Amino acid sequence: MVAEYPKILLAHQGLPDSRSLKTYLSQGGYEAAKKAISMGPAQIIDEVKASGLRGRGGAGFSTGMKWSFVPKDLPGARYLICNNDESEPGTFKDRQICTVSPHMILEGMIIAGYAIGAAKGYIYTRWEFQKEIQYLETAIKEAYEAGLLGKNILNSSFSFDLDHYMGAGAYICGEETGLISSLEGKKGQPKLKPPFPAVSGYLGRPTIVNNTETLAVVPWIINHGGKEYRKYGTEKSPGTKLFSISGALNRPGVYEVPLGYPLMKLINDECGGMQPGRTIKAVIPGGASAPLLTPSEIQDATLDYECMAQKGTMLGSGAIMVIDDRQSMADLLRITIDFFAHESCGQCTPCREGTGWLANIMMGISEKTAKTEDVNRLGLVAKHMGGKTICALSDACAMPVMSYVQKFGDELRDYLKQGAVH
Amino acid sequence: MSGFSEGLKTKIEGFLGRYETRRSAILPVLHAIQDEYGWIHEDHVEELHSKYQLDRIHVKEVITFYDIYKDEPVAKHVIRFCKSLTCHMLGATESMAKVESYIEKKGLQNSFELEPFACLGKCDGAPVMLIGKDRFELVTADKVESILDDYTKASAAPQKGGTHGS
Amino acid sequence: MSPETNQQAIKPVPLKPAEPVVKETVTFTINDKEITVPKGTTVMAAAKQNDVYIPHFCWHPGLSVAGVCRFCMVKVEGRPKLEIGCNLTATPGMKVSTLTPEVKEAHKWALEFHLINHPLDCPICDQAGECKLQDYYMEVGQYKSQMERPKVLKPKAIDVGDDLVLDTERCILCDRCVRFEAEVTKTAALGIFNRGDRAVIGTYPGKKISHQYQTNIVDICPVGAFTSKDFRFKQRVWFLKHKPTICPGCSTGCHVDVYGKPDTRTYYRVKPRESDVNQFWMCDTGRKTYKHLNQENRLRGAITSGASRKRATLAEAYQVLAEKIKSASVQDLALLVAPQYTCEEYQKFFEFFVDKLKITKVFEWREPTEDRKAFDGILYRGDKNPNSLGLRQSLEKRGLVKPGQEIPGFNDVAASGATCVIALAPEILFQYPSLASQMALLEELSFVSLWTVSADLVASKKIKHALPMKGFAEKTGTFLNFEGKVGQLQEAFPSAVEDARDISETVTSLGEVLMGLS
Repeated sequence: MVAEYPKILLAHQGLPDSRSLKTYLSQGGYEAAKKAISMGPAQIIDEVKASGLRGRGGAGFSTGMKWSFVPKDLPGARYLICNNDESEPGTFKDRQICTVSPHMILEGMIIAGYAIGAAKGYIYTRWEFQKEIQYLETAIKEAYEAGLLGKNILNSSFSFDLDHYMGAGAYICGEETGLISSLEGKKGQPKLKPPFPAVSGYLGRPTIVNNTETLAVVPWIINHGGKEYRKYGTEKSPGTKLFSISGALNRPGVYEVPLGYPLMKLINDECGGMQPGRTIKAVIPGGASAPLLTPSEIQDATLDYECMAQKGTMLGSGAIMVIDDRQSMADLLRITIDFFAHESCGQCTPCREGTGWLANIMMGISEKTAKTEDVNRLGLVAKHMGGKTICALSDACAMPVMSYVQKFGDELRDYLKQGAVH
Repeated sequence: MSGFSEGLKTKIEGFLGRYETRRSAILPVLHAIQDEYGWIHEDHVEELHSKYQLDRIHVKEVITFYDIYKDEPVAKHVIRFCKSLTCHMLGATESMAKVESYIEKKGLQNSFELEPFACLGKCDGAPVMLIGKDRFELVTADKVESILDDYTKASAAPQKGGTHGS
Repeated sequence: MSPETNQQAIKPVPLKPAEPVVKETVTFTINDKEITVPKGTTVMAAAKQNDVYIPHFCWHPGLSVAGVCRFCMVKVEGRPKLEIGCNLTATPGMKVSTLTPEVKEAHKWALEFHLINHPLDCPICDQAGECKLQDYYMEVGQYKSQMERPKVLKPKAIDVGDDLVLDTERCILCDRCVRFEAEVTKTAALGIFNRGDRAVIGTYPGKKISHQYQTNIVDICPVGAFTSKDFRFKQRVWFLKHKPTICPGCSTGCHVDVYGKPDTRTYYRVKPRESDVNQFWMCDTGRKTYKHLNQENRLRGAITSGASRKRATLAEAYQVLAEKIKSASVQDLALLVAPQYTCEEYQKFFEFFVDKLKITKVFEWREPTEDRKAFDGILYRGDKNPNSLGLRQSLEKRGLVKPGQEIPGFNDVAASGATCVIALAPEILFQYPSLASQMALLEELSFVSLWTVSADLVASKKIKHALPMKGFAEKTGTFLNFEGKVGQLQEAFPSAVEDARDISETVTSLGEVLMGLS
């Protein structure tokens, strides 16, 4: 049994004209921003720390902790960036927030901006979200007109400017330093760490990059307190979270459930189970970069960071892709590898060459010209690509590859043995 | 090729003054150019270099790095069809084949061009495609023809209205 | 100001040594060797300073840290993952190892990743013999490749500059050349286009690198992606020997190595050598200074009679000159000296002619159009002579010129009334564009003994007396650069010209003959 839980992020879903400032204000919108400004930065950060909120972009790092890394007394500009690039295949949750409550993101940014001492914020959205960009730009315009952005917002001494920035089709810009490079007008190549963005980010200035969902939950935490947030979810993964779930399900979509929610319950209850005649072959629990789970592994799986880690995979951004029995794992593996090979920024040798090499080997498998040992070679190459690069894209490709080889190696070898079909 | 239109110049200058550095304006400027011309010509890069102090090498790096920018002419409407996992599982491969045969059959190579793409971030609507900037969902193979027919008609009309899909 | 514009470039050389700064230090170990470095030093830089070698491609001490080749992996005791030495700041007590099995495995795989799409065309590659890919294969590689698929193909043999040919298949995308363009010359002529394994280095289409520091890109390219047109296909590097010397191209006096083939005494190239004068770089003008050493028309023997071009022995030539000097009064004698010889040569020369023979008419042979104050902001200076200061010091020491006072120049020679002029000609002729008209003036004097490396200067057959000199790479000595820094020249090989002598040897021999006359 799952205890009662509130809808935090999708609270306004279904309300008429839910995107408008008017609707948002009618639901108590921007009260948290007022409250936060009266609290002061240190107390905001404490409250967010107390909530145990972990970054919803995929890495799951403590949000309050991240904010506290910004040097306190350094003069000059600081920036807050909302990572709305959402480009991990299978993920479409931030899109939903933009569609339902763009002002929730803006309010979260005002609070976060105030907490870290930023006077300027950017929302960075992928180009593919044309409609959502319009929603955000409209919301920003409304907020400026209402004195919620700009000089002395909410009649306080705090001034905060917010602008929108549109990507141009590059997965890597979802990586926070890749995003910063892109915002600087460059190729979206991740930057070496250290220095970390909290110290030296956008244009070399202290910068916090938070995922859209992370920022959108902040107003609720300020309104209700960190303690209240901790009532939901698990001890190590507090709160509710959005899950994007897709595949041959009856009701795929974005669902807000508490962390720790049983995966099978989400599939069977919220999503209404598999489409008629289809059964589950495997589940990708956290976006294309997460290792697969087999049907036996998902039965007791819960949607939280620790359970997924224990099962050798990850919750990631909460992008669940359900693979049904009609699918060829060779096809899905090829699509996965091709994606990362296409998206590798090309900076670090193990990633640039490794992703391309995997794609090259996989091409041979797809064309059935490869040898059976090439299946294991995929795993071998992947193993040596991991943990060696500036950002995690190399690992994001290597991890699923290793899991396909480990869990579906026989199917891949059988596929090869079936002989050339082309 | 003559220079940018007055409207585009105003836009570009707006972007150049909008961010902390001129260089930060490169992406928005390129979007504006592509919106106007469909692709980015070498002369555009030269104009950015000589008149707007955006270094041509930096601009070229950006154009070639990001998928959206085109440095070659493209058909009037680029169809970006999601080829990633969920869309594939729900029939994108068949739909794309349908798109290609539709373009060929109707001889619409100047109007449409298929670009298999990943991922469009709307997997609950799989298979998903964008025509230009308009998103279409649940584009199974059987729906391809009617969607493209409608789009052809709408874009042939003097003023293309609104957005499509959900 | 965006951060990429203020990266470390060549720092202007300070006129005085910097005040010693008391800096905090950090002591740590690499492979159990204790190392102490200033706080903030990276493990890679610390290793280099202490002669511990960590294999790497993209790191270069003169450029910002890119951290992209992922080759300089080291193990830090107590940390879970391997880390790159180039971006790892040394901390007190840190225990770094480059020798654990994990690191060795990482090196092998890092090399495999670098090589899977590399054409392995070493037999036709100029970099062979000084290629990091080859070196590391022998040092840390030696694996059986797992690569059995077709390689990614990329553009080859692209003309990207006056001296540059680019092969993008050989390129390992270490980004050194791009950083050099962005940080050192600030010309940003190179970029990396596209992404993933389609990423490719290049200039903007149709544009070429046009500045005169471009061959440094060949030097810093760890593989054979950039090759020098001047050196391409000329010689296998393992047949070459090199010696440290000083570039004679201008008053900066870059520390360089000259490369040549000892058996044929032929020179092939000049490359910069790391020093506080030029850091890691040199200009392309300086790189041309080896050519005259090989020229067929080098002055191969002494001349004692202009018109007949009779080739004289050195003994005969000394005899003629000694008699000329002997018969002349001090007022008839003048010395015309180019600032292109070593301090040791000037010492010997003036000791004999000024201290001993009491000649007072000394003139400096410079290019009249030069702008001595000019400086390109990187290394190249308007004073195109490597030892202007050495010459001046020699003259000041003898009271022939006062500090701050101009040394009498070329045009003063004729007016001085001297009838017997001993002229030490410039060696780097291309830095003297007015040489033809200067030679015409000299040829009108009644007697000139021209001491020169090049036969060009006596081609008109009007110079009646000439002695063959050694080139800068053929002698040992010192230059004083524009700010008084000492540069050490070292004889690379014996001169290709048997009769060539340096000034000191010539003066000694001449002195002996002259003494014998009395």
